[in-house]
Amino acid sequence: MGTKTTVMSVQEKREYYLKKVYMVLPVISLSLLLLLWINVSKSSAFPSPKDTWDRLIMLFQKPIKGLNIFGHVWASLVRIFIALAFNWTFGIAFGILIGWNKTCKALFTPLFNAFRAVPPLAWIPLITLWLGTGEFPKILIVIFGSIASIVVNTQAGMSNVEKLYLDVGTIFNASASQKLFQIAIPSALDAIFAGIRTSTSAAWMVVLAAEMLGAKSGVGFLITRGMDSIDMPLVLMSMIAIGIVGALLAIITQFAERLLCPWTKKSN
Amino acid sequence: MSMDKKIKLKLENISHSFVVNNEVQDAVSDVSIDVYDNEFLVILGPGRCGKSVLLNIIGGLEKPISGNLYLDGEKLQGSDKRISMVFQKLALMPWKTVMGNVEFGPQLAGVDKETRRKTAQKYIDLVGLTGFEKAYPNQLSGGMKQRVGIARAYANNPEILLMDEPFGQLDAQTRYAMEEEIQRIWQTEKRTIIFVTNNIEEAVYLGDRIILLSECPATVKQIYDVNLPRPRDTIHPEFLRIRKEVSENTDLAL
Repeated sequence: MGTKTTVMSVQEKREYYLKKVYMVLPVISLSLLLLLWINVSKSSAFPSPKDTWDRLIMLFQKPIKGLNIFGHVWASLVRIFIALAFNWTFGIAFGILIGWNKTCKALFTPLFNAFRAVPPLAWIPLITLWLGTGEFPKILIVIFGSIASIVVNTQAGMSNVEKLYLDVGTIFNASASQKLFQIAIPSALDAIFAGIRTSTSAAWMVVLAAEMLGAKSGVGFLITRGMDSIDMPLVLMSMIAIGIVGALLAIITQFAERLLCPWTKKSN
Repeated sequence: MSMDKKIKLKLENISHSFVVNNEVQDAVSDVSIDVYDNEFLVILGPGRCGKSVLLNIIGGLEKPISGNLYLDGEKLQGSDKRISMVFQKLALMPWKTVMGNVEFGPQLAGVDKETRRKTAQKYIDLVGLTGFEKAYPNQLSGGMKQRVGIARAYANNPEILLMDEPFGQLDAQTRYAMEEEIQRIWQTEKRTIIFVTNNIEEAVYLGDRIILLSECPATVKQIYDVNLPRPRDTIHPEFLRIRKEVSENTDLAL
């Protein structure tokens, strides 16, 4: 028995146990939170985990506006998907334009900076007064609230294209459009994806704010309904749903990035 | 001997300068060089001055302040399809696989997929990267990355290959291996190579001729013919003699 193999196995054992510990740690923090929650609810009016769960089940038996929790989450998601489809098309195109073309940059940057300094919440009164409380104004608020991050990230990626890559294009006699589409845009893809991720989470936050003002469906509407009818379990349940869906969206966009930009993950 | 060789590329009175901190700094001053067909020409120079600038001018990445370039007797304007380059800093596209990088030149030129894949595969095989076609650059070692750079330059089917200190960032051992490799590749696929380096031993090991440049601004200081059989023996008395001669004539870099 060589000492070296014994040492190795001790280290391997350590790593094995550490891996297990890392898997257990989130469970511990979650259980602690649950414990705290139970305790707080025992000594105050705060709804207990059981109340919240029961409220969820009740929503299935007695839907609000004909929708259970999945229906309302879906209603919110549809709004952000429409807004994001617009943002990912026009936001990326606009970001490429001001990141690549100096004239366009000079022309639009001051305007854009002023626009993105106005928070989405500040748009709500204006848009509501102007366009009412229908479906379109809500989507417009989400667009305004999440377009900045995709534009900013795309622009940053496009104005930081490695000069060396463009030199390769020059050596190979690439045309201006080949340099844009085959060198600059691909090299900015990871920055663009960072924009896609942040705009998705921004859109998810803004849609809830938009729905809290006069909607007939969506998770934001559920929260307002809970507040109006002094239904704390409903409010809490909706908030938990928001958290879970938000986390899922983050995981999905990250997964999409790995799938579409496989070179960003390092093998060693 | 060199009298009856065909002149491939002619540099005529090339001068170039930059403005650094509101001061004009001459980088290249009145350089004239004849480059012969299929020769391995090494441009050796101290420090950072002039060598890469000269190569960038030949590649069309920079326009000289004065002077002309002639390829096969015909005046060059900007970058030319017949000239390709291996970069010191690799400049591989991280979003492209080895195959994607190597076929990039022909792809830009509009060569159809089947043909360019075949060409790319030939040079991937030549540089010894068979089996790594689908790997991304960040999965490769430094030496392997530079092999991709060499294959990419070859795949564009150039008549002249420019190499800007291609092994400058490699560790000593990999560097020796790559010097042997580039010699083998050049002997298999004869092209005119213009190779820039600041390493005297590398210059004597690789060059048919060595053009020694002076310190800033770069001028042609001396031209050496190296008539040693290949692969060269780095401890052969003649090798050592040339090495010493070049070394004593080289300006000290600051």
